[in-house]
Amino acid sequence: MAFRYEEQMQPPPPQRVTDVAITTHEHVYEVDPRLMERWVLQQAFPNWDSLRIMNARGDHLAWMHAHFAKGVVTGSELLAEVDAEDAAESSERHP
Amino acid sequence: MTDLDHDAQASADPLLAPFTPGMHGNPPELAELTRNDEIVPQVVIPLADVKTREFVEEWHNASYNCYSSGHKFCREVCPVVTETRNESWSPTAFHANVVAMERGELTIEDVAADYVNCTGCGACELRCPNTLYTGDFYRFRTRTVDVVKAARALAVESGVHQEGYRSWNARTAERSHEPVLGEVPVGQDTVRDWADGLGIPVGGETILFVDCEAAFYRTSVPRAVAQVLQKAGYEFGLMGEQWCCGGPAAEMGYVDQARTFAEHNLASWRATGTRRLLVLDPHDYISFTEDYPKFFGADFDLEVVLVVELFAEMIRDGRLVPDVAVDRAITYHDPCRLNKRKGIWKEPREVLRSIPGLRFEDVDRVTQWSYCSGAGGGLAVEKPELTAAISARRLDHAGRLDVDTLVSACPWSERPLTEAGDDVDIDVLDIHELLATSLGIEVGGSRGETGDRRLAQARTGAMGRVRRTKGARGPGDAPSGAGSGDAPGGAGSDAAGSGAGDR
Repeated sequence: MAFRYEEQMQPPPPQRVTDVAITTHEHVYEVDPRLMERWVLQQAFPNWDSLRIMNARGDHLAWMHAHFAKGVVTGSELLAEVDAEDAAESSERHP
Repeated sequence: MTDLDHDAQASADPLLAPFTPGMHGNPPELAELTRNDEIVPQVVIPLADVKTREFVEEWHNASYNCYSSGHKFCREVCPVVTETRNESWSPTAFHANVVAMERGELTIEDVAADYVNCTGCGACELRCPNTLYTGDFYRFRTRTVDVVKAARALAVESGVHQEGYRSWNARTAERSHEPVLGEVPVGQDTVRDWADGLGIPVGGETILFVDCEAAFYRTSVPRAVAQVLQKAGYEFGLMGEQWCCGGPAAEMGYVDQARTFAEHNLASWRATGTRRLLVLDPHDYISFTEDYPKFFGADFDLEVVLVVELFAEMIRDGRLVPDVAVDRAITYHDPCRLNKRKGIWKEPREVLRSIPGLRFEDVDRVTQWSYCSGAGGGLAVEKPELTAAISARRLDHAGRLDVDTLVSACPWSERPLTEAGDDVDIDVLDIHELLATSLGIEVGGSRGETGDRRLAQARTGAMGRVRRTKGARGPGDAPSGAGSGDAPGGAGSDAAGSGAGDR
């Protein structure tokens, strides 16, 4: 709850999630800053700011879904649907 | 076929094997493409004026990031643009100006007056996809508030002053407090008058910092906070020699003055052995968690506690038990500097939901990204008529609900909101005042002339819209227009019901 400088300026130790991406706070992912700095000057992010953005993103997506979407489906569901259609077409061509 | 196909032959579907620089499994011919990459250098801008060159060099990347994207989602959440539709006063324009200055097509003299038109609410930064969807991922977000502050500072350094800003900051420097009472002097000799009769000591490990507006104008707020703390048995004192936090000076471009004030305050805290600051004002909270760390770095080793978060915790653990019913139908105004700039929205709602008797019609925090009182960022100093219009728009949103009271958690918002509320017969109260009342505390102090007059009027009958004699709309007048930032489903909807559920 309280703001303390020393707690804000150092994120949790990074965990590598791919060759090029890391995660620090739960649900916060970022391009490895050592790679990113080749293209974009890296800003200093206090912890509260990273968490604010991550939380606001979820809030905004939920708000958009609530106001503009008839339903919400996952990408994996869509891919499964496409795969199923492909399989059906294939079996029709090669019964 | 992609640009990376050297042999100009149609490749397999590139989406099946996307190229990500840095991946260990990249084919050698692709890895070679990035082998000689270097860390992006700071750009040197060939401008003769040193101050302008330094400004452009610092904000070049941020400005091109905005200018080259051009989403402009910011406009529909910006309170100034929503009110005026003036493109020169949009967050996009504030960045485009920097691009033009880099090319020598504009000077700060040309655009300094445009930069007045910002409340520093932070909605544009947060709604920008470059923050919301990629800011943390690329460690680079939109920083409109900082760009505006830097442009104002460049103007001041270049001798380009806005008369309202100049006068306000000159009087603040003279009295060490903002001239919130107009011609009535404010100063060190009266800064603790709000606490008369409360028996609060001076100094100590924990002090309550009270902003200028609350200390001199809306004195009911610090009185409410202090008495709630006393009721909970929380030990605290008042500051030894309190000056203005310096935040408004920093926002208006008077950076040296802001730093002088900050240095004074830090020295005063050191002298009284203070380790913890209790802060009731969101603007102070920004100053102490953003400006002071920039001024002092790790030397700023005090703990900063936002009072409304502390009160929510005290209610949660039973140290505070509101048990006096409050006969009001309310909605809550998310102060910009809490909701948008700090992501603090939950605790004020916890406090309000603990108060018996209240009927609480909540509007979710995302809908409120486009809401503002217009009082921040010095706008009320230079353009009070625009602040009043933005406040009137905020009260119009409240007026569509079945409420009789708008509750805020920011003393600076409460003066213009109270005036706008008077036009539509809606009371504007502070959350700390309301909590104190529900704890059986006679708050005392002042809410300003209009606020005191309204509070003295007896309210009878059923709570809500029917109590209003002006500005009351029929029950069928629900808000509409999702694309405008108005609240689709905002009337009577709580956070969860509007899709921005509590965590």
